[in-house]
Amino acid sequence: MIKITNLEKYYRTDEVETVALNKISIEIKQGEFVAVMGPSGCGKSTLLNVLGLLDDADNGSYLFNGTEVIKYNERQRAQIRKQNIGFVFQSFNLIDELSVYENVELPLIYLDVKPSERKTRVEEVLDKMQIMHRKKHFPQQLSGGQQQRVAVARAVVNNPKLILADEPTGNLDSSNGNEVMQLLTDLNEKGTTIIMVTHSEHDSKYSHRIIRMLDGATVTENILM
Amino acid sequence: MFRNHIKIAFRNVFRNKVNSIINIVGLAIGIAAYLFLLQYITIEKSVNQFHTDISSTYRIMNEGPDGKTWPQVEPGWAPLIKQRVPEVQDYCRFEEGVCQGIVTTDGNATSYREKAIGYAEGNFFDFFTFPLVAGNAKSFNASQVVFISKSTSQKYFGTQDALGKVLTLNNQFGVMPFTIKGVYEDMKDNSDIRYDMLFSLETIKNPANLNENSWAELGNLNSQYIYTYLKLSNTQNIVTTQNKLTALRTELKPDKDGVKFKLQPLANIHLGTSLNDTFQTTGNLKYIYLLTGISMLILVIAWFNYINLATANAIKRAGEIGVRKVIGASRFNIIYQFVIESLLLNGLGFLLAIVLVLLFQPVFNTIINRSLSIQSITSGTAWISGLAILISGAFISGFYPAFTLSKYNPVDTIKGKIKSTTKGLLLRKSLVVSQFTISTVLIIATFIIYMQLHYMQSEALGVNTQQLIVISGPDAGKDSTFKNRSIGFEAQLAQQNFIKAFCFSGSVPSGWYNFTTGGFTQPGSKKGDELKSYSFAIIGDKFLNTYEIKLKAGRNFTPQECNVSWNENSKVMVNETALKQLGFNNAEEALSTKIQWDERELEIIGIVSDYHHTSLQNAIDPIIFYPQNNSAHISVRLTPDNFPKKIAQIESLFKAAFSGNPFEYSFVDDNYNKSYISETQYGNIFTAASLCAIFIACLGLFGLATFTVESRVKEIGIRKVLGASVNNIVTLLSKDFMILVLVALIIATPIGYYLMNKWLKDFAYRIEIPAWIFIVAGMLALLVAALTISYQSIRAAIANPALSIRTD
Repeated sequence: MIKITNLEKYYRTDEVETVALNKISIEIKQGEFVAVMGPSGCGKSTLLNVLGLLDDADNGSYLFNGTEVIKYNERQRAQIRKQNIGFVFQSFNLIDELSVYENVELPLIYLDVKPSERKTRVEEVLDKMQIMHRKKHFPQQLSGGQQQRVAVARAVVNNPKLILADEPTGNLDSSNGNEVMQLLTDLNEKGTTIIMVTHSEHDSKYSHRIIRMLDGATVTENILM
Repeated sequence: MFRNHIKIAFRNVFRNKVNSIINIVGLAIGIAAYLFLLQYITIEKSVNQFHTDISSTYRIMNEGPDGKTWPQVEPGWAPLIKQRVPEVQDYCRFEEGVCQGIVTTDGNATSYREKAIGYAEGNFFDFFTFPLVAGNAKSFNASQVVFISKSTSQKYFGTQDALGKVLTLNNQFGVMPFTIKGVYEDMKDNSDIRYDMLFSLETIKNPANLNENSWAELGNLNSQYIYTYLKLSNTQNIVTTQNKLTALRTELKPDKDGVKFKLQPLANIHLGTSLNDTFQTTGNLKYIYLLTGISMLILVIAWFNYINLATANAIKRAGEIGVRKVIGASRFNIIYQFVIESLLLNGLGFLLAIVLVLLFQPVFNTIINRSLSIQSITSGTAWISGLAILISGAFISGFYPAFTLSKYNPVDTIKGKIKSTTKGLLLRKSLVVSQFTISTVLIIATFIIYMQLHYMQSEALGVNTQQLIVISGPDAGKDSTFKNRSIGFEAQLAQQNFIKAFCFSGSVPSGWYNFTTGGFTQPGSKKGDELKSYSFAIIGDKFLNTYEIKLKAGRNFTPQECNVSWNENSKVMVNETALKQLGFNNAEEALSTKIQWDERELEIIGIVSDYHHTSLQNAIDPIIFYPQNNSAHISVRLTPDNFPKKIAQIESLFKAAFSGNPFEYSFVDDNYNKSYISETQYGNIFTAASLCAIFIACLGLFGLATFTVESRVKEIGIRKVLGASVNNIVTLLSKDFMILVLVALIIATPIGYYLMNKWLKDFAYRIEIPAWIFIVAGMLALLVAALTISYQSIRAAIANPALSIRTD
């Protein structure tokens, strides 16, 4: 599903050039659950952003479902994002002005899904995440675990083939954390590819494979299953 | 999608209350100012447009060799033109001023001095579109017929039918009865032609009805006193037609004065640009430009607020935008959303603006001296372009922040990495600078207008206007006993101990002259001097004394000299300006030299010190004082206090002496002040405009200050922990804004100076713009800005630093 080859990414300021991704090559197959680990600043998040087409790379190749997307412009990338990729963040990133229901509905709106269908799909996913009773609440009125469940709901509402999760349990206590990991595992079992950046050895055990990074490059890959 | 945007837009409006209030109130004031303007423009544009044949109707204008134009032409041209110029289908003549006099009903039951009356051609009511309420338009084409307006009918006859009744007109052509054969709908604000009564011009076709005023003969080609309108069958070649008219004039005019005929379309008369139009009401194009400029500036200040606050708050909203992008929003989606928000705020502003317009309509009407209403807008087509401007403004001001916000990289926005960009900061700074520049220019303008007004009202006129009233002299009942009655009245006035002085005269200071003419020469004159014009003031022997006008040399007229008939008189006085224009070097020379007025020889017996006969907008004219017993005006200086009683006493004497004449008086100082209505209006408009502008600009500044303080809470906390005083913090927060206001002052000063200097050039007597005006205006703007910022900065400075440090 994903194949990157010799991907490079630099951050430049006026005087300093920092290498964020150093000729990294990874292949991830449909249905995999991959954890990306490494110390702070090793380029995990940058990798995730590049894979999620939120950020562009400077060199190398990125085949997404067999299509070279490295040179795509913002509009084309937005198109791929909204049809294929769901995101889950450490800080949830829900929109405070929108209710739970509306937050989850938003990706469908941007996909021009019909209102009646939107309703069915949003309610279905809220139900699955067991937050249906909170659908009229606003993010500030929810606990961290509940907020992350909403975020996951929002990430999966358009049935993406790929979910990118950036430390999804980082802001959660262990029981809420476990719940979220269970949700991701369930999704993965139903066929969704998941790439998760994490610091937690515990969470990484839910994955099939761990990619360890250092200074913008992969150092080891552990296959857990 | 749309519903979602509307929903979130509404929530944002309610969530950011301070922001929204600033935007909505600012926009409302801006839009209200704009709606007021729109009313004015709509009415102004609609003036005269109701005439059915407007496209083929033209007015003849004279254009002098100096390029000046005036609409009064000699009455003899119209029939000649119709004969000789084939494309002229028809003509209509009417006049203004010649007819004025006293109108009475049968048996003197009701009598009024009527000003808005005139003689008009028999076809007037067919030629122009003034609908009749009663009577037949054709019946106007006869001698001694009058048509009156509906409200005039009510004034004279109440609910009775006016048709067939007789009104007696008492004017310079004598006393004559006219039969009412038509009543027309009132000629309203939207018409430049506005008469309460029209008397048939046919009446004065008969020389017997002219009371020896041969200058008024309808066939004459010498006296310019009538307006002439033409209907043309072909308007393709107006220049050709104009040339034909001028050729005719050059061929037939006895004296070759170099005047050309011009044709002005009736459609352009009200807002005519190129022609110096004496036929206008208060509205003119300059005024429209001024109002447009001011209201657009206020609106722009409000839109700048929106841009400023929206871009400043972008940082707060960056996270939301990032999330939206991550989950699939395209750039268009984001722009769309922000534009919707801008439109919503503008829409709410619009609703509030309507409320403001309804509330402040009376104030606006007083300022511009009109009776406009919100309905005025919808009566024309100007509202379409008005609405278009409002919508596009809302759109553009919404688009800019949307455009910048949507540009951010979603990764950065989501991680809160977006800090205020230098570009955004520069933009906000320049917008604040422009807002305060506009405000300061308006403040400077306001100051200067009021200073000029005050100067004109307080400058020594050379005339003592204290406790001085002017009574309109008698017109009716000028029979054989009139002279004796006048003498009796004078004697009675002289007996009243509350009257300090009084005089009879044809012209009075603060009024106009009797007439203006050329043809004066003295032995030392050069060729061309005879073309210079002089203003005539007909006065009696008590005039100078009553007005306390100084005599510089020579002597005043004697009562005997004032009794000599017009053509026999050989003595005049002149003012200093006339003395100079005549080419005399000093008073002695003038007093010992005879001057020529065409064929007549005149002796200058006195030199009158220059005084302001008209208001201070005009330079002092060269005046020839001509001695005559003329009772057009009776000026009376009263002893102080208890005016109503004294005036009532004069009224009873007047009524006894001149029955059938209405008693009408005014105070001379009021009359002078009336000349400054237009300046007073300017002053009012600029006061209102500068208040609005500075208020909206300060709203914006308040919003920015709020934003700055919010984004620097932590920094302020750290500084306080490190020992900064409240003063330090307030200075820190205010400094940046004050610099912007200072920059605005520096820009505003030359602009204000240039514009106001230009404005002042129209005045013959004007103030020098003092430097302190700019300092005071600047201090005012700075002070208001400082107060605005201080609330937020002091609040931040006295906040508990422990709390602010914890906040992140």
